[in-house]
Amino acid sequence: MLELDKISKSFGAVRALRDVSLEVRPHEVVGLIGENGAGKSTLMRILSGSMRPDAGAILIDGRQVVLRDPKRANEYGIAMVFQEQSLLLNMSVAENIFLAQEKPFMRLGAIDRRRMIEAARACLAKVGLDVDPAMKAGELDFAARQMVELAKALALEDRTDAPLTILFDEPTSILEAKDVAMLFERMRALKSRASFIFVSHRLEEVLEISDRVYVMKDGEVVAERLAAGVSAPDLHAMMVGREVKGEYYREARQSPPRADVVLEARGLSVAGAFRDVSFALRRGEVLGVAGVIGSGREELTRTLFGFLPQTSGTLLIDGRETVLKTPTQAVAAGIGYIPRERRIEGLVTDISIAANVTLARLDLAMRHGFIDHKREKSIAEYWINRLRIKTPSAAQLCRNLSGGNQQKVVLARWMAARSHILILDHPTRGLDVGAKEEVYDLIRDLSAAGAAIVLTSDTLEETIGLCHTILVMRDGAVTARFDAPARAKPKQVALLEHMV
Amino acid sequence: MAGAAAQQVSFGGLADRLRPYTPLFLLVFLIAGVNAAEPGFATLTTLSVVLSDASILFILAAGLTFVIMLGGIDLSVQAAASFASMIVAELLPRVDYAAFPATVLVGLAFGLASGFVHVKLRIPSFIATLAAAGVMTGLSLLMEDGRTVSLLDQGREESAWIAGAWLFGVPNVIVIAALVGAGGMLAQRYTRFGRYSAAIGAGEPAAIAAGIPVDRYKILAFGVSGAFAALAGVVLAARLSSGSPDLASQLLLPAIAAVIVGGTAITGGVGSIGRTVVGALIVSIVRIGMTFVGVDIFAQQIVFGAALIFAVFVTIDRSKIGVLK
Repeated sequence: MLELDKISKSFGAVRALRDVSLEVRPHEVVGLIGENGAGKSTLMRILSGSMRPDAGAILIDGRQVVLRDPKRANEYGIAMVFQEQSLLLNMSVAENIFLAQEKPFMRLGAIDRRRMIEAARACLAKVGLDVDPAMKAGELDFAARQMVELAKALALEDRTDAPLTILFDEPTSILEAKDVAMLFERMRALKSRASFIFVSHRLEEVLEISDRVYVMKDGEVVAERLAAGVSAPDLHAMMVGREVKGEYYREARQSPPRADVVLEARGLSVAGAFRDVSFALRRGEVLGVAGVIGSGREELTRTLFGFLPQTSGTLLIDGRETVLKTPTQAVAAGIGYIPRERRIEGLVTDISIAANVTLARLDLAMRHGFIDHKREKSIAEYWINRLRIKTPSAAQLCRNLSGGNQQKVVLARWMAARSHILILDHPTRGLDVGAKEEVYDLIRDLSAAGAAIVLTSDTLEETIGLCHTILVMRDGAVTARFDAPARAKPKQVALLEHMV
Repeated sequence: MAGAAAQQVSFGGLADRLRPYTPLFLLVFLIAGVNAAEPGFATLTTLSVVLSDASILFILAAGLTFVIMLGGIDLSVQAAASFASMIVAELLPRVDYAAFPATVLVGLAFGLASGFVHVKLRIPSFIATLAAAGVMTGLSLLMEDGRTVSLLDQGREESAWIAGAWLFGVPNVIVIAALVGAGGMLAQRYTRFGRYSAAIGAGEPAAIAAGIPVDRYKILAFGVSGAFAALAGVVLAARLSSGSPDLASQLLLPAIAAVIVGGTAITGGVGSIGRTVVGALIVSIVRIGMTFVGVDIFAQQIVFGAALIFAVFVTIDRSKIGVLK
């Protein structure tokens, strides 16, 4: 049994964890939930050995241990399956599974490849993944890579006598529904061999797979429940410390679109990605694009912002025919883009909020050809107030903001640039519930102000809740189109039918 | 910028807070150290020598600073400077004062060309500029069969003013460097080029997604580097009264050192022209100060290498860099 006893950890003045105690019993799946910043990631880092607690004890079968580094954590039977996936894509599956554990395969100073591959095959069999271990990890899809990571974690079995605990950090966030089902099936089968800690934002999934659930809030464990005895809304209320409002997606604020079309696609195609996509997006309209990975919807959003120019078909912006070859052209045409990778594509995290707000339209902060810092500051402060960005000042580096506030800075950039078309690429990914709701409000504000919005989202529920119109894509083609007016929203199953 | 630095304070510890100023402390410490060992050091005459030396190094490194901030490297600055010394020596008798801007434009053109090769042909800047250095060195050698061209010949006296002094005996080299420094700092704070350089260096994908024409600004940075390197070559030629294919060949490492020691991260993102001013002064003081206190000329390289590592060790927050390459 793995026990944490009163673990605390501070970063400067911020207490990330405060007297956190929890236990993981043999053959158990423990769910760990909490809003962003509740301390889940810090806790996982401590457990995986990549960070040391300031105070408190970690006990394995009643004996206190020090998880000095990830290797030591492994020796104590704790392995982490990373959210961002840690496989080396240029190496084979077998090499990945036994990375830094090649010793048993050494013969006369060289690695016995054949034996390693055989051992890898046995590991893969444990997770029920039927791929050639000699294959490069990069050739596998995301779901298979995750299984390889799981196999890698299970390979620990042969190296330690300690009970195995596998940490899963948001394993389902990039998986499709069927892959999630498969992962859960494997986890259940593997409970005889290991215990799991399952961290996720998706409460339904947490409830489905877990035996017990710990709820964290502001660095503390605020509740521990048997999964059988609680509902997702209950958990949610404990997590945020308040009830979810009934009007989650602000449907009451959904106003009908205006008449004028600002973005129109006619038979838009990108060879190898999607084909023959047509739509007419009006001012004030939110157009959702639903589809699984590989449906072409991700590429479609990239095309609409100039990352991936169309190979055939027509794109009209404000009635003018255009081929967007670069994002620079897209911005000049009045398009804004909220990427899913907030810290990579969304923001330059090491420059100020003000500089990020004016990044797309620096000319607004310029006078006589030079940057006017006063003007820039006042623009930034206007948006900080208007979007209620929590920061001591406009000069603050974006790195220091929370996820929700960072997303607001990205939105502020395009609002400041007066972009009349917005491409929202998974705009609420990784945000906690409170921050999500603020983004929903902003989307309604933008729509009411006449912005035309194309939205893709991680959940169908969100797409249906937010959008006026929904395109469903499958295998690169549009398979259905739904109207989704307020109070007459289509059902998820209706969309799903056309997705898979 | 000052505001940004001040805000960082509330989040970082003491080390973070002091880090941007460590090069400055190091500079003061070095002056005090050399002066303690050899009390004649901190006089106007010696400082003027140090400043003149630092000025050339700074001009050479000024444009390079932008390239490094963007995450690239320009290994052709010394070749560009030598090439420029040859060109200005050849042009002066023919076109008089127009030789100066013409030479700087040639530097700009070569810089833009290597930037273009790097960005558009997607060749690492390390290789693109190394190749450009080879081309420029080759051209310099071809011009006069590898010979040095004296500026003291007839018709080349137009360059004399550069080596002279203008007001209160301040060498004009220092005045030129001050103008370059002021221009660079203003460019950094008040122009698109300065802002975009910082943004691209700190987060290129985000800069692209904000619609910044990243390729164009990267190429421009290499052009600026080439132009300033050529300017440094002109100044150097005037001071030494000659153009030569290997005039600046010993200056590549000191120039890179000036940028890095000043606190601009070799990984890009963090940096400024102001830091390079301090860096150039540090490098010059180490070089001249050692001669002053009598360190053997051969041993100086050892001290120099150690000082470089020490400076980078104390100035750059390596904890934010995950993997060093």
